[in-house]
Amino acid sequence: MSNTIETRSLTRRFGDFIAVDGVDLSIHAGEVFGLLGPNAAGKSTIIRLLAGILRPSSGEASILSLDLFSQTEQIKRLIGYVAQYFALYPDLTVLENIAFYGGLYGVDDSNRLEQQLELYGLTGFKNRNAGLLSGGYKRRLAMACATTHDPELIFLDEPTAGIDPVTRKELWELFYQLSTSGKTLFVTTHYMEEAERCNRLAFLNHGRLVAQGTPAEIRASLTDQQVYSCEISHKPELTNALVNFPGIALVNQFGSELRIIASTRVSIDQLEQLISKYYSDSFQLIAVSPSIEDAFMSLTDQGAK
Amino acid sequence: MKLILALMRKEFIQLRRDPRLVGFIIVMPIVLTTLFGFALKLEPDNVRMAYVDKDTSMFSNLIKTNIWSEGYFDLYEVDSVADIQNEIRLGRARAGLYIPGNFSAELSENNQPSVYLYIDGTMPSLATAMDNNSSAITDDAVTADMYFSDPDDPLIVIAQDPFNLEVETLFNPDKIETWFFLPGVVGILIMQVALILTSTTVVRERENNTLEQLLVSPMTRSQFILGKIIPYVIISLIDFYAILGFSWLVFDLPAPGSHAVLFLLAITYLAALISMGLAISTISQTQQQAIFLSIFVLIPSVLLSGFIFPIEAMPSYIRPVAYIIPFTYFVEIIRGILLKGNYFIELIPQFLALGAFACVFTLFSIFRFRKTLA
Repeated sequence: MSNTIETRSLTRRFGDFIAVDGVDLSIHAGEVFGLLGPNAAGKSTIIRLLAGILRPSSGEASILSLDLFSQTEQIKRLIGYVAQYFALYPDLTVLENIAFYGGLYGVDDSNRLEQQLELYGLTGFKNRNAGLLSGGYKRRLAMACATTHDPELIFLDEPTAGIDPVTRKELWELFYQLSTSGKTLFVTTHYMEEAERCNRLAFLNHGRLVAQGTPAEIRASLTDQQVYSCEISHKPELTNALVNFPGIALVNQFGSELRIIASTRVSIDQLEQLISKYYSDSFQLIAVSPSIEDAFMSLTDQGAK
Repeated sequence: MKLILALMRKEFIQLRRDPRLVGFIIVMPIVLTTLFGFALKLEPDNVRMAYVDKDTSMFSNLIKTNIWSEGYFDLYEVDSVADIQNEIRLGRARAGLYIPGNFSAELSENNQPSVYLYIDGTMPSLATAMDNNSSAITDDAVTADMYFSDPDDPLIVIAQDPFNLEVETLFNPDKIETWFFLPGVVGILIMQVALILTSTTVVRERENNTLEQLLVSPMTRSQFILGKIIPYVIISLIDFYAILGFSWLVFDLPAPGSHAVLFLLAITYLAALISMGLAISTISQTQQQAIFLSIFVLIPSVLLSGFIFPIEAMPSYIRPVAYIIPFTYFVEIIRGILLKGNYFIELIPQFLALGAFACVFTLFSIFRFRKTLA
């Protein structure tokens, strides 16, 4: 098992509830791996399992060639973990936060701390209380705190949730920078456009893995389905009729765009006929190649059914 | 009004969502009221009294029987006056009675002999109460049997007061009230600082979401607990000596015979308190709960420790409660060191009790801390 992370039927139960259900993951060294899934799919639970703060109920896992069950403490030294909520001390300054978390791993080299401030663009704020930073800078600080000990593998739980697109782009540049320097990144997100940024990704739904691969592989996973797009305004009756039409997997309205995922058994003519019943103006229905979001929607929908 | 109602409704809903807190708010006053209602009395009974009766006459027996029947004292015999003082010094007796050998002879000579009563001056209300109760010994009703009449003329009473009662207060002869209370007050202030500071410390990490971040680090549970305890021990220690120093300077509180023993007391007492605070912290989900629990511990600690209300005044079924309170042992030790001049070796049981508290609560915290991760 030379992969950075390798799991076999990793499972975690909370009482009767199965939060993570037989998950097999393979994450290669140096890649940015994305774990996608709707809220409550079990993304954070998987991260906590892999970071060694939650015991798996069953299954196997190796992290950086160490056994998750018996070598948890060794693993902890080699990984970084950025929790979903800013795990920072608001009453400590930026530098004090970094120094504290570094200290937990035995790092006390002030050059290293300066280096971290520099890398995450925090030098100008180093004496400011962490509680006074903006959301984006809090994320940067959380990342700096989690990486001062130079971990091989970094877990980021929803690192970009609630962050504006510009800041989000900056954060991704940081992720790539880490990845280029040889680090492996494990990122959870529910932003679809971020899925395309990952080297490889996996979809999680109700604790189960429904797909895993490169973005291209994921898009190609809709083998027996075709995606159609149509510029048309929203009509509830039409949406209803489409949803109930046999062979149609998913109907989604994005502003003035209607997106339909249908089985390849359904012909484009059948769809045009159906739409024209509810829509008298002219319209143009075209077959398009599936996006990650189409794949995601279709896969999670199947999971739900 | 509607707006206020909206806020009020929300507050009630939030309270209801924290059943533990509701439990504390409702159960705590009931438990404490019940406990204090039964436990707190200033009038002691079953006060242990060591006696020496060198006379062993009908008259000396009469005195002992009268004391016994008053119901305040449990009498037991020792060999000498020195033994009486020692029993009181060690806290085994709170009072002592000495009847000299020539008592009945002097009595029949009508020489007004003396009976000696010794009282532990380090226990505030106890000393006063015993002072009052000791009058039982010299009451007319009691001494009536000792009146001697002239055999020739029964109407002439020879002695109005057949004997003297000499009361001696030991260890705090002037019954200086600040001496009763200051050593204990030091303990209360330290308890407040240590308990509140430590009980909120783990919960705060949880509320800040920083606990999880600590857990992914290689830090072990013991390192975490120790790293949490030591700073508060240092802070509380500084506090301890600041308060004591002030008491020495301003209130003339006696200095201890051995500063080493005092320091040892500070360390063991703080270890007990801080580990207790941590234990509270590991079972609380919010800082609010932690503070409530601390107060829940603090108030009975002060009232049931024998600091103000003597343990001897509590009903026997509540008395064991006093002995599961670290503060009880602190009060015994510090009064022993500062007022009675006790040696370390005489206080070992109390020190062991404090040490046991520290161990139990530390182990409990480490165990609980493990469970919160699972």
